[in-house]
Amino acid sequence: MGEMARFYGRFLTGLILALVAFWFLALILMPQISMIQRAFHYEARDGAAAQAVLEANRLQQRVATMNFDIRALEREVAAGVSGAAPAAPSPSNPFAGLPSPGAPRPGLPTPGLTPSPGGASAEAPEARLERLRAERDGLTETIAESRATAQRLRAEEAAAQGWSLRNFTLMSPLHWRIFGLTLVYALCVTALSFLVCYPIAYAAAQAKTPRRTALLLLALTIPYALNELLRIFAWTMILANQGLLNHALDALGIIDLSQGGAIRWLASNGSVFLVMVYTYMLFMVFPIYGSLETLDRNQIEAARDLGASSWRIHWRVALPHARPGVAVGAIMTFMLAVGSLSVPQLVGPGLHPDWFSQIVNRNFFESNSWNVGSAQALLLLVSCTIFIFLVMRVFRVGIREIAR
Amino acid sequence: MSVAVAAPGARTPTDWSGVILKVYVALFLGFMFLPILLMAGAAFNANPTPSALDWRGFTTDWFTGRTDEAGRVIVRGLPQETRFLQGLKHSILIALGVIAISVPLGLAGALLLTRIGSKATGPLYTALVSPLLTPGIVLGVSTMIFWRDAFGVQAGLFTAMLAQSCFIASYCMLMFMARLQRQDRSLEEAALDLGASGFFAFRRVTLPYLTPTIVAASAIAFLQSNENYNTTFFAIGSSWTLVTEIGARMRFGVSPTINAIGVIFILLTVVFAALWAFSLRKKTA
Repeated sequence: MGEMARFYGRFLTGLILALVAFWFLALILMPQISMIQRAFHYEARDGAAAQAVLEANRLQQRVATMNFDIRALEREVAAGVSGAAPAAPSPSNPFAGLPSPGAPRPGLPTPGLTPSPGGASAEAPEARLERLRAERDGLTETIAESRATAQRLRAEEAAAQGWSLRNFTLMSPLHWRIFGLTLVYALCVTALSFLVCYPIAYAAAQAKTPRRTALLLLALTIPYALNELLRIFAWTMILANQGLLNHALDALGIIDLSQGGAIRWLASNGSVFLVMVYTYMLFMVFPIYGSLETLDRNQIEAARDLGASSWRIHWRVALPHARPGVAVGAIMTFMLAVGSLSVPQLVGPGLHPDWFSQIVNRNFFESNSWNVGSAQALLLLVSCTIFIFLVMRVFRVGIREIAR
Repeated sequence: MSVAVAAPGARTPTDWSGVILKVYVALFLGFMFLPILLMAGAAFNANPTPSALDWRGFTTDWFTGRTDEAGRVIVRGLPQETRFLQGLKHSILIALGVIAISVPLGLAGALLLTRIGSKATGPLYTALVSPLLTPGIVLGVSTMIFWRDAFGVQAGLFTAMLAQSCFIASYCMLMFMARLQRQDRSLEEAALDLGASGFFAFRRVTLPYLTPTIVAASAIAFLQSNENYNTTFFAIGSSWTLVTEIGARMRFGVSPTINAIGVIFILLTVVFAALWAFSLRKKTA
């Protein structure tokens, strides 16, 4: 630090430090921290407590209706005693046959009462009254219980708000499955990409003349002048049901388009893999090319002269030399594949199995649950970090070599 | 070499592998260019569903659009697709902002890392390079959350610009570091010995040395910013850039105007590549 101050003077050193601090804090660290904060912050949304309250309110309403019925019955019973009973009030229509306001407040049902005449129900009003009262008491108890449950659940939810692992533990098994599968898919893409790109990188690095190398690299770069989405779009034109691939197969007589024999390429994950390999190819080719470029051609000649097969030359000479490049390529490709939204979203969306990035997208922009989305984004970040460490271990390379 | 001459039989299988490699390279180049050619072809096809096969006659309507005398739109071409044009404006605005942010940040990071000889370099380097190794979706999401939670800034062009700058600055830093490591430090030392202030030495010695890299880093930043989808998609909220608009269009029914944009991209690239090659030739001549 002192050396820097001597070199650039106080003003410049201060400026440099301020810029780096801004970059690190405001653009890298703080955003990650807020994402992690949300990931471990549970937001009660639907809420079992809210449901319990709803249920209690519903029961309360039923009890109110019953009270009305009971009161009506009581009046009827009381009127029955005085012998001036009007038509029996129906519980389903409690407003019928309301007694006059002057009716005496009923007490306990009088024993030894005769059933009210003209009542359609076979049940005696007293028995009915008895039954309703018992039912009401039962319900009142249930309400008390369900209010208590609601309170307990509310308290639990309040306690769960804030720091918890619930965003992870409450994630549905389906989403966990998609997460695991996405990691597998990304590994497949990485492996495929390596298989496709290694020969090209080798051809470019070991080309006979520098002119050839330059031409090959230029040919690789030109398609990348086209934006990622347009490259994806070009592929959807090929893989569509009426696309080039199906037309070519039709011309070869393998399928019959006019009979509706189109193969639905876009509906398979294979097409997602293919487009991803194409889209992120340069991130695999260039690192491998970079490390193979330094391989002395005499080494290959020597191995060949000593009778090594081509396979053996690659396995024992070229590949070990390309180790750092392969590591970088694998890390970049895996990272891009696992976090890619564009390819799974735009190549046959909804037709192939979901990728995890699509789930994250839905949580943010469709169901508006940012905290769950953050937790899932964090899962992606963590899996990438683990992958990087694994690759660094397996390929024995350091972080300096990884970032070029 | 003498061994090879003595045993010519040993060469035959390796020649075969050479042939296989050549065939593979040819196939590979086809794989690279075929999609692009198809895409360009469909831009001039009158067929309203983008296709290079189902040919319905040559047209440039997708570029120019077509209206009848009354001014009613018959074919929606680029001039009628105002969201694309607006998106392009947004893209350029964001890209300029990204250059203004990420080039100074990258330069500062590179100067700090190449000039301090302490042990802090390793972790600092890892920290500043980490955005390159972070999935774009995570960068976009975290930027959107941070600016909303901490400052109440809704996702938009500003957050998209910051999210992009975060990792583009790392690219710039690596470019500056590569250049700085090849610098002859004695020039700066000499300037200081002759009594120049640190700032003066930086401005007159280091900065001119870095100028080509500043230009290159700005160009890379511009391209990366315009190209980016995954990060921008999450950070931009309800606004849009050219690329996110193309993505939205691809999800809800396509039109050959997207192909027309692709052709324009290709042409621009060819022109710029030619200009660049030309300027190089002029310099060496």
